[in-house]
Amino acid sequence: MSNLENRFILTQSQKMMVFILSMSLYGLSNMITELVPEFYIGPIELSVEYFAFIPLTLCILFHPLYAAIGASLGEVIFGEIMLGQFGGFGELEKFIAFSLAMYVAGTLVRDPKNKLQVGIAAMVGIIIHQAISAIVDILKVWVGVEELEAVPGLAESIVAIEGFYFLNDVLFSGILFALLPTVYLVPRLYGKIEPLLGMKPRTRDDRYSLKEIVGPRLIVGGILLAAFAFLFEFLSETEFNWEWEADFVEMFGDWFVFISIGVAAFIAIITLVVLSNRKKNNTQKDEKVS
Amino acid sequence: MEYGRKWMDKLSVEQVKIELLHTAYGNSDIFFAKLDPRTLFIWYSYFGITPWFLHNEYILLGMLLFMLVTTYFAKISPLIMLILSLGLLGQGGSLLIIALFFGGNWATLMPLFILTVKLMVISLASITVFCSMNPTQLSNGLLKIGVPGQVSFSIAYGYRMLPTLVEEYHHVFQSFRLRGKAPEKRGFLYIRTISYFVKLAVMSFYPLLLSTAKRARTTVEALETKGSMYGFNHPEVKKLKLKTLKMKKRDYLFLIASFLYVVLLFVYFY
Repeated sequence: MSNLENRFILTQSQKMMVFILSMSLYGLSNMITELVPEFYIGPIELSVEYFAFIPLTLCILFHPLYAAIGASLGEVIFGEIMLGQFGGFGELEKFIAFSLAMYVAGTLVRDPKNKLQVGIAAMVGIIIHQAISAIVDILKVWVGVEELEAVPGLAESIVAIEGFYFLNDVLFSGILFALLPTVYLVPRLYGKIEPLLGMKPRTRDDRYSLKEIVGPRLIVGGILLAAFAFLFEFLSETEFNWEWEADFVEMFGDWFVFISIGVAAFIAIITLVVLSNRKKNNTQKDEKVS
Repeated sequence: MEYGRKWMDKLSVEQVKIELLHTAYGNSDIFFAKLDPRTLFIWYSYFGITPWFLHNEYILLGMLLFMLVTTYFAKISPLIMLILSLGLLGQGGSLLIIALFFGGNWATLMPLFILTVKLMVISLASITVFCSMNPTQLSNGLLKIGVPGQVSFSIAYGYRMLPTLVEEYHHVFQSFRLRGKAPEKRGFLYIRTISYFVKLAVMSFYPLLLSTAKRARTTVEALETKGSMYGFNHPEVKKLKLKTLKMKKRDYLFLIASFLYVVLLFVYFY
C-alpha cells in the first residue's frame, strides 16, 4: 500500500475467478436469449438481442479486461460451439468487438455507486458494440461485392438496413436489457459480490486504461490486415479483368495462378499467426501482471 | 400464461442435456472426425477467407460444389442446412428489395448472387469443420495452434457446468414466480405478461450472480490444487497432453486433394 496511485492488482487466480464467473453467466444468458422468441411490429424486430447487462455489471465491478474476455468467450462457447453453430472467423470479429466495447464501458466507471456514470457507461458500451458490428457488416458487403458503387442502389440499401438495425438494437435492447438492469444491479452488488471472490471492492482510485488492450502490436496487426485487404481489392479490380485476362496469362505464364493461390494461402497463415500471437500476448500479460 | 409455459417447456433441463450431448458426440464415425484438428484448421483457413477476395463466379460455384460434397460427407443435418440457406436467401432478398427501392434494377441481382454464393461457401466450410469435431478434438486442436489453455479449459467447463447452471436458473425463476404475482390482465398484445416474464428473467440473475461467484471461487481453488495454472503456462505439460495428435496419411491426402481441386478450378476457369 505504499503507492495509492498503483493500479488495483489481482492475483492470477482472482483473474481466473472473474473470467470464469463472467464466462459462465453470460454463456447461460446467451442460451436463454436463444430460446426467447422474437416479436415483430411491422419491420421493427423486438428481440432480446443479448443480456448485455451481465458483462456490463461484471466489467464495472471487477477488472474489466478479464470480465470482458470471459464474457465474449462464454458467448462463443455456450452460444455457438455447444449449440453446434460455431462460425469460425466470423466469431473472431464478434469476440473482439464485444470485448472491446465491454472493456471500454468498464473503464468509464470510476465510482460504481454513481448511477449516472454506470448508466452512461452501459449505453456507451452498447453503442460501441453495435456500431462496430454495423460497420463490419457494411464492410463485408463492400469487400464481397466488386465495385459496389457501380451497382445501383446496393450501397444505399445496405447502409439503410444496418443503420436501422443499429438504432433498433441501441434503443430497444440497449435500454431494456443493458441500461435499466445494469443501473439496478451494480449498486446492489457492489461490496457484496467481491468478498465472495476474496477481493476488495473497487474504489475510486482504481483506474484502468485503454492502453492495456490496444497495444502497438494490435494496431500494427490491424493496419497490416487492412492493407492486405486493400491490396486484394486493388488486384481484383486491375488484373483480374475479363478483357485482357488472356494477355495476362500469356505475359506471365501459368505460374501467376499459383502465385495468387500462394498469396491467398499466405494471408490465411498471417491471420492465423496474428491470431495466435494476440492470444499469446494476452497470456504473457497475465503472467507479467501476476 | 400460455406463452410462458411454452417457454418453460423448452427450458427443461433434461432436454438441454440431451441436445448438448447430441450436438457434441452425435457424429464421431464420419470421415472428418477422424482427421487431425490441424488439418481441418488449415483447410478452413483457406476456404474461410479466400472466397472474400474472389470475384469469378465460376470459381466460386466450383468451390460451392466442393463444399456441398464435404457437407454431405460430414452428415450435417438437413435442418441446419435449410435454416442456413433460408437465412442467406432472406438476407440477399431483403437487400435486393431495398436496393430496388433506392433505384436499383435487375443488374443488382448478379452481384448479390455472387455475394450469396461467397457467404454460402464460407459458412458451409465452417459448418463442415466445426460440426464434425467433437469438443475434445476442438479444444486439443486449439491448444495445439497456440490458443491459451484457459480457452480449452472453458470449453470443458461449459459442458460440465451448463446443465447445473440451467437447473439453478430454473429454480430461481420458479421461486420468483411462486412468490410474485402474475399480472391479471394480459394487456394489449400480451404486453403485460411479456414484460412480467422479461423482468423476472432479468431479476433472476441477481441471486445467480452471487451463487456463481461462489462457484467460480471453488472452481479456481480446485484448479489450483490440481496444478492447472502450472499446466497453462508451461509448454512441457502441453506437449505431454497433446502427444496423441498426429498428422496421418489421410490428413495429407485430404489436404493434397483439396489443393489439387482448387488449382484445377483456377487453371480451368482463368
